[in-house]
Amino acid sequence: MFNNPILRRELLGRLRSWKTFAALIAVALISGGLVLLRWPTDATLDVVSQGAMLVFRPLAFALALAVMMLVPPFPATSLVTERRNGTLALLLNSPTTPLQIYWGKLTSNVCLALILISASLPAMAACLAMGGISLGDHILPLILVLFIMAVQYTAVGLWVSLRSSSSDTSLRMTYAAVLALAVLSIGPLVWIGNLSGAAAWVAQWLTALSPISALQHISAAQAATASLGIGTGFVEFVIASSVVTLGLAVITVRQLDPLQLDRPRPTGKVVSRAAGNSPSLLRRLNYLVDPQQRKASIPWWLNPVMVKEFRTRKFGRLHWLLRLVALCAIISLMLTVLAATGTVSWGVEKIAGPLVLMQLALMLLVGPSLGATLISAEVESGGWELLRATPFPAIRILSGKLMSVVWTMLLVLLATLPGYAVMSTIQPAMSGQVGNVIISLLVAVAMVVAISGCVSSFCKTTAVATATSYGVLLSLFVGTLLVWLARGKPFGPLFVERLLRINPAAAALSEMNTPGFEQYNLAPVSWWVGGGIAVGCLIVLSVRTWLMTRPD
Amino acid sequence: MNTDEPVLKTENLTKRYGQFCALDDLSIHVGRGQILGFIGPNGAGKTTTIKILVGLSRPTSGNAWIAGVNCSKQASQIKHLVGYMPDRFGSYDNMRVHEYLDFFGAVFGISAKARRKRIAEVMETTNTTYMQDKFVESLSHGMQQRVGIARTLLHDPQVLILDEPANGLDPRARIEMRELLLRLASEGKTLIVTSHILPELARICDTVAIITGGKLQAFGKLDAVMRDLCPTRSYEVQLVRDDQLDSASSLLQAGLKDAVVTISRPERTLRFPTADSEAELAGALQQLIQGGIEVAQFREVAGDLEDAFLSVAARDK
Repeated sequence: MFNNPILRRELLGRLRSWKTFAALIAVALISGGLVLLRWPTDATLDVVSQGAMLVFRPLAFALALAVMMLVPPFPATSLVTERRNGTLALLLNSPTTPLQIYWGKLTSNVCLALILISASLPAMAACLAMGGISLGDHILPLILVLFIMAVQYTAVGLWVSLRSSSSDTSLRMTYAAVLALAVLSIGPLVWIGNLSGAAAWVAQWLTALSPISALQHISAAQAATASLGIGTGFVEFVIASSVVTLGLAVITVRQLDPLQLDRPRPTGKVVSRAAGNSPSLLRRLNYLVDPQQRKASIPWWLNPVMVKEFRTRKFGRLHWLLRLVALCAIISLMLTVLAATGTVSWGVEKIAGPLVLMQLALMLLVGPSLGATLISAEVESGGWELLRATPFPAIRILSGKLMSVVWTMLLVLLATLPGYAVMSTIQPAMSGQVGNVIISLLVAVAMVVAISGCVSSFCKTTAVATATSYGVLLSLFVGTLLVWLARGKPFGPLFVERLLRINPAAAALSEMNTPGFEQYNLAPVSWWVGGGIAVGCLIVLSVRTWLMTRPD
Repeated sequence: MNTDEPVLKTENLTKRYGQFCALDDLSIHVGRGQILGFIGPNGAGKTTTIKILVGLSRPTSGNAWIAGVNCSKQASQIKHLVGYMPDRFGSYDNMRVHEYLDFFGAVFGISAKARRKRIAEVMETTNTTYMQDKFVESLSHGMQQRVGIARTLLHDPQVLILDEPANGLDPRARIEMRELLLRLASEGKTLIVTSHILPELARICDTVAIITGGKLQAFGKLDAVMRDLCPTRSYEVQLVRDDQLDSASSLLQAGLKDAVVTISRPERTLRFPTADSEAELAGALQQLIQGGIEVAQFREVAGDLEDAFLSVAARDK
């Protein structure tokens, strides 16, 4: 099993990388730091051993977040990079079977994840030493959950990677899938609730895909998940994750076939408008703005870099943007109509939560993948050298690039406004709150764009920039919400409130009195904190861009 | 066209990165409509020189001018005067050739109307019109090189700097590239071309600069550099009968100073390098004929740029 050449190459290659070393140090420091932060300092004897659990619980969630952020980048870029470099063809042309290739890649990444998890063993041992935590009931199940998460996310990454055309697309899609599996899967049960029959069964198994309930189960906080309507636990997580992993593995191995990978490069085709050859009505309806119609010259009043950014993105072309906006608007209106006409027990507050979370999820999916490629993709493709050789000023390059992301994000945000408009109509008293939500979301957009753009200016490859941006933004937006999920035990209300101030989405949720956020008063401090972070990052980005356009 | 008027000039150009000297005291000049072949091994300082010329790098000392404009002090003006094609194409995903050229035209500040006309012209010049609707990343390497040249021509620069334009091209694409470069030079463009394919470069350039370890080893007209670097010429004598090879070899060694004659029996040929004059060579031929040797051919074997480069490399070692 360990004689697999791919496993050895991948594992040794990654162990030699300074990034792995940095990740190991980060995991060790964070896990050790968490234990130190919660370590009891008074001389009182804890007879029921609650102290150890107060240390163990945040450690478990921090490690789960680390697995979510650190595991996906390697498999997500693995197969797509091999295919683009032509080395996948060499591998498939060798006696190595697709199963061996897949196994090598999967096990190398899982081994790496286990090495990362092992960096937290001293912290776990400290919890064990405190008493009240047992190896069989807590430590080993936690390691098993983390192991299953690593296997599942690696399988997801490899599956997405094989189907993607570029490493940054693959990273974006993998993080989207991981986010959906880990967080959004609990959505139907938590937000809709009151389900019965088959719908309840499906919702429970969807929830089982998320490690949250398993982690709560291990860290003896079932009460918190039960209050959210989650009835699944450790065993269901193991079953659901194993099924997903096995399914994805079978599909990926089957698709690792030279014949299936033999796809022609898109050569580009322009739909002729000549008489007798006009596009069909179906095509006109499908593409309101036909992507295969020859584009006009860039007009003088538009920044050419901004236009270029839109045109070079697969999902940046106008027909895709229109589809995205239309989808957002439909979902937003549907949710609000449900609130207005549906069950009496559903209030506007309960609907506002999913709406804000939907916007947050979209922002976190779309924003980093666009922002992180602004400079890094240009450097990677060699386009930056060409841009530098033109008389186009640095400030216009940067503004064009930033505006291309800002417009996209604003369009997504604007598309959900009809939902808020309906909400204000149902409850006119909510107009002020809706205004505050929109400000919070605008601050969140500014943070996403500025942070990912800033990260992009320091990276030479899109894969690294995208992974780093996702890591930073997930820590800020999802990490703080995970801490909120563990509010009360072990995190105190003051700590949670202070932490939520760096997350403008949490401010939006508290403004809408979303269940669980009613007690916080996050705005306007959250706007100032978020705005400050965004401005700081923009300054760094501007200086970096200016320096990068200067002669060496 | 006055080819003596220097369009590009460098004076004592030096670039240091800490203790490492990437470029040492480079002084060259190129006239209008000329093609300069810039030759050197990897890491010789070619790209450093090019980057200084296009305003992407500042020299530690010395100066460079293009059309009288200082490359380091007036970098923004230089960018209008130079068309630069780096060794990497610099493609963008999901972008068609026409859109690609339109973008770079807009970045160079060409108005939309003028851009449309100019794009049509450069595509015509580079024979890329038929690929205008193709995605840039789907083009073959040869096609991308032609689109790259079209891009450098968009703002009608006086000087074109092309880093390895023939690299990775098939023979047909190489011939087309050569014809294109010669056509551009005939239209008055000054070209600086780096290449590792020296026979290819020898076919197009008027002037060569050979650089190793950051130092200029040879510079001047191609013929002059060749004479300078390869003072001994190689000659070949082909006989009608192979039984006369040994006696012919003895006659040549007796008639020429320090001639080392190599015999190739299957080809019935004698080869020797010599620095002797034309008159002395004529005398040697006369001796062969008078000695009853039946000579089929007596000719100079043309030396090439590769010999010149190898001679510089050997001297450098």
